[in-house]
Amino acid sequence: MSRDLDEILKQVWPRVRKKHLFPELPNPEMGGGESSVGLDIRAKKIFISREFVSEMSPALDTEKVIEGLLDHAVSHYLSCPWDFATHLKLYAKAKDVLKNKDMALKATDYFMDVVADTHCVSRKDTPIPKIYGSAKKGGALDEAIHALYQRIWGLDLGVKGYEEISRKLSRIPYLDRNTWQESIRRFSKAVKFLLEMEEDLGGTDGQSPMGSHSLQQYSSQELEEGLKDLALEVGTPYEFKKIVQDFEDEILQATQAGGEAMGLGPGQGLDADTIYYMKLAENYLLPIRKLPMEKSGSLYPHHHTPWEVGKPYQEIDPWTSFGKIMPGITQTWQRFEGEVFGKGEGTPDCIILIDSSGSMTDPKQHLSHAVLGAGCASDAYLRNDAQVAVYNFSDARSGGQKILSYSRSRKMIYRTLCHYFGGGTRLLVEKIDGLQTDKVPDIFLITDMQITNLENLIQYFNDCKNRVTAVHIGDNKHVKNFRSAMALRKNVEIYAVEKKEDIPRIVLGKVKDYLYSPGS
Amino acid sequence: MKNPFLDFQSVPCRKKEIPLERIVRARKEIMDRLSEGYLRLVEEEVKDLVWLVEHSHVVRTYSAAVSAIQDLQYDQDDIEEFCAELDNANAFPYMISGPAGIYLSALINNAAEEHILLRLSEYERTFHFLGYRLPEGKTLVLQGNLGDFIGAGLCGGRLMVEGTAGNWCGAGMTGGEILVTGYTGQKTGEWMRGGEIHVDGPIGGFGRARFGGKIYQRGKLVVPHESE
Amino acid sequence: MIEEKRNNDLRKVVWELYAYIQDNLYLNRPDMQIKGREFNSALLMSLLTGLCEGKELIIGEPGLGKTTSAEYVCALLYRFPLGTIWGSEVSGHPEQTEEKIIGRPDLGKLNKGEEVVVWSHFALLPVKIVDEINRLPETKQSMILDGVDRGNWEYLNAAIINEEYCLFATANYQDRGTNTIVAPLIDRFDVMVESKHPGANLAYFIGGHGSNGVRLRSEELEAEFHSVLSENIPYPVRMKRLDELCDRFGEWLEAQEGIRTLSVADRREIRSSKRSLPFDLDFNAFLRFVVSELSFCHHFGQKRSNEACDAGCHFTGYLCNAVRNCVSNRLPISARNFSQALAWLLGDEEVDLEHLKAVLPFTLAHRTQWKEEVVAQREKEQRSDPLEIYMAKQAVKEMHRRYMEQAGEVKNALAVACRIVEGESMRPVEGDHPIYWEIRRDLGEEVTEV
Repeated sequence: MSRDLDEILKQVWPRVRKKHLFPELPNPEMGGGESSVGLDIRAKKIFISREFVSEMSPALDTEKVIEGLLDHAVSHYLSCPWDFATHLKLYAKAKDVLKNKDMALKATDYFMDVVADTHCVSRKDTPIPKIYGSAKKGGALDEAIHALYQRIWGLDLGVKGYEEISRKLSRIPYLDRNTWQESIRRFSKAVKFLLEMEEDLGGTDGQSPMGSHSLQQYSSQELEEGLKDLALEVGTPYEFKKIVQDFEDEILQATQAGGEAMGLGPGQGLDADTIYYMKLAENYLLPIRKLPMEKSGSLYPHHHTPWEVGKPYQEIDPWTSFGKIMPGITQTWQRFEGEVFGKGEGTPDCIILIDSSGSMTDPKQHLSHAVLGAGCASDAYLRNDAQVAVYNFSDARSGGQKILSYSRSRKMIYRTLCHYFGGGTRLLVEKIDGLQTDKVPDIFLITDMQITNLENLIQYFNDCKNRVTAVHIGDNKHVKNFRSAMALRKNVEIYAVEKKEDIPRIVLGKVKDYLYSPGS
Repeated sequence: MKNPFLDFQSVPCRKKEIPLERIVRARKEIMDRLSEGYLRLVEEEVKDLVWLVEHSHVVRTYSAAVSAIQDLQYDQDDIEEFCAELDNANAFPYMISGPAGIYLSALINNAAEEHILLRLSEYERTFHFLGYRLPEGKTLVLQGNLGDFIGAGLCGGRLMVEGTAGNWCGAGMTGGEILVTGYTGQKTGEWMRGGEIHVDGPIGGFGRARFGGKIYQRGKLVVPHESE
Repeated sequence: MIEEKRNNDLRKVVWELYAYIQDNLYLNRPDMQIKGREFNSALLMSLLTGLCEGKELIIGEPGLGKTTSAEYVCALLYRFPLGTIWGSEVSGHPEQTEEKIIGRPDLGKLNKGEEVVVWSHFALLPVKIVDEINRLPETKQSMILDGVDRGNWEYLNAAIINEEYCLFATANYQDRGTNTIVAPLIDRFDVMVESKHPGANLAYFIGGHGSNGVRLRSEELEAEFHSVLSENIPYPVRMKRLDELCDRFGEWLEAQEGIRTLSVADRREIRSSKRSLPFDLDFNAFLRFVVSELSFCHHFGQKRSNEACDAGCHFTGYLCNAVRNCVSNRLPISARNFSQALAWLLGDEEVDLEHLKAVLPFTLAHRTQWKEEVVAQREKEQRSDPLEIYMAKQAVKEMHRRYMEQAGEVKNALAVACRIVEGESMRPVEGDHPIYWEIRRDLGEEVTEV
């Protein structure tokens, strides 16, 4: 029987693939599992439970069972949740309503199942309804969902009752992706009492026959992409953290193999604040510097020109001249200097001075454009194989400072940038000096310029050779002093931003000038 | 001219439809009509985005609401979803609470169902005037913390508030029953002429101008007072 | 239409050639899967190029078999000994001239006052290999444009038109000695592939007995080929004689190595059989879907490389926002041609979406100019292909996913459009994707509002 199931799967899968227009999914396999749950999906690979198929075979043809399960799995990939970011956003909405992680997870699972199955039933010829009709029903919620399917698919799945709840649920536009967030709120609200009932009766462990949707179904790259999309969509790091923290274990587990770039991996916690900025900054990436074009320094024959009496003989091309030396026939070579790819110059390192005093935004609570801008600059230097040092200052004299020496560890850099002191504003220039190297690093300063010992900084910048970009928020008398002191310094540029949202753009523009303009 | 789509001649134009699509379409039509009715009401009754709470104004607005919904077919679920639409800033950037509540009350009072339950606890906007002129034979259960004039002008119906009510709760009611599990605000029962208000929590203040009716707090009759 | 049996036999020959090259000559790992079968992309695309009379650009690090793989495929598919192919290759360097690439005057005749062209072997042979094409200066690249595109070679007042030809060009990655390949030339290539490193274990066997192609050489026949190529005879006569020599080489190969190869007639039959394969509706619709995404611009009418997108354009989620240039009309030609060839090779009765998906990244990789910020997002991602091919694969995956979601609606929109053109009174289907907008434009609607 086991061998038959593998054979049947091999025959059914190409048909299912063709039906769904060849989704990019690896070949599924028969696997172990419970008799009540048909499917498991891990890193996009589908595993079908032999026990489930065997259990269903008296009621339904084995091929149909396997086809239905595959249709369901493929539908999840094709329609809902579509990607990891969508999954998280749906979960967040459900949790807003249900206020309980397990209940929110279950509601999200069921919602996604309804969307995926309805999507499939509405577009393809599929035995999914037959599986639902024949499978053992779980608790009340499971039956209510079956009742919903009966109503929205117009098919009898053998469930009686649940009129009111199925009527309410049937009004939700599951097939409209644009309204999913509102739809899952309505869905969660409607099923809340059933979830609470199940919780009271002993927990929300029961599963749909189609299995649950853990984060293991996503590949490591999908998780990274999803976190990046989520960071862009949520308004604040606090909201990001609220959503992501519930999945800390799953994300860490799932990114074990390739998570070093995110600074994730075994033994490391999920620092959601840092990851938020890391992912958000990825939306502002500058490309890696290309090799510049330069003149090759050698001449090569470029084209022919007619020879005239009086012109030199050396460049005459005997072939095109047919061996004749006469005006009108003889051709001579014109040589040009070629343009070829040059050698890439090294990228200087970068020192980031970031103000985290009380007047600056707390990056853990609200979106700090200062941290984001600093992160964008760091990424640009790191991508061009340079190193970045960070001096995060508040009231440095009282210990309100954090220094990261030159590093290529993205996570460490962001962690230092995200640190918030919230105290006074005084930096120690000797610390900046301690980060100077022979290679003369570039310096980025992001502050609101309410620095108590600004004169020390002015003095320091007057003496240093580094390219300095100072970005400050708002205007005050200290700014005027700083500007007038730096006016004659060609290596110091100062930018004022009215809106904090402009910081990343200004920083990136400056990085582009430093690293990408000819002669840089 | 060459028909560049000729290869698709054999593709049928009509696609398979499942009941969900019909249900959602019908729901959308009703929502659109309810929204249209509300917006028309606001246009007629609200000048410069200001609507004054004044008795004749309220009466007129209610009549206008009733005419706006005269030919509409809807049910309890539609009313509850319309509340969600009203709460949705994208759908209605400027929700004027008074007319919104009166419009909802008109919908409730003219709905076919005798027992209506509205879950309003998660909404950001506050609804006023819910239960306005609730007629006899109708029971309205409201879950959530509500605004002012809840149950104003109650006409014999039964209004249960599983939450709190704001000021002027039961103002001008002529009959019926209001039950509030939480607290009520100031001027509770103002202009009351009949019926009963039962409040399980604190009462912020009683309306002075009362011409009948009873107010109970935690099961104990507090208005009219023994001395009155 | 050739018989089924004959068709199957020809297919078998091509499979045998693939297996022979993979096992003996071009040792490499499979890196793609189509319909459950594994292939090495460089070898597969080279074979399809040879079958389709296509043009392939092979990129890769020095010494990874770019040129040799092309030589082997040409030798076996077209029945030319390796020595003859070596003699016809054009190598890319700055001092190449027209006389070395295309042809030269017969100097003896010229002194007598007669203009007679001695054509280069490169121009004459149906198999053309340009080695390190990006070392040719841009002026020289332009020189071979017409020949590459139409098989049309002109020198002095003479011209030859290749009746059958395929072109393989190799290019190393950019270094101090390389130029860019001019845009009109690169657009003429049907596909671009990478010749990858085979891995340490297979690399160990490279250079071992027979793996350097010595089995594909016959000095005696090469001398005869050289003689025919050098003779001053009319082009059709020369080609006939070359065909005879090719057949002799084919017989020699079969006797020596036991491998069957393809004659001119065989290749013609294969092409005829390939051309008769129908495209299924999803192939048709998806290709239109892809072309619309890569050519559409709501604001400017079409994509142009000198016009940048507005920030905040409604169509940000589509590839028209990620590319700088407009895709050329050669893309659908290459995609159809190679997909058909692939379907023929796999023995399928019609050309479907899976064939197109397999081929499309290779037809798109060199034709797409990505915006810098888009490249920046992808260049550090984990991958096993060079960046251009990887980005093309990701783009195809993205478009395919979009298509899978709305295939029904797209086909419905095309069906409705068909009926409208035929005079039925219907409204065109509206949708967000550029294909719906293109359909409406084709129906004569001036579409401006988003």
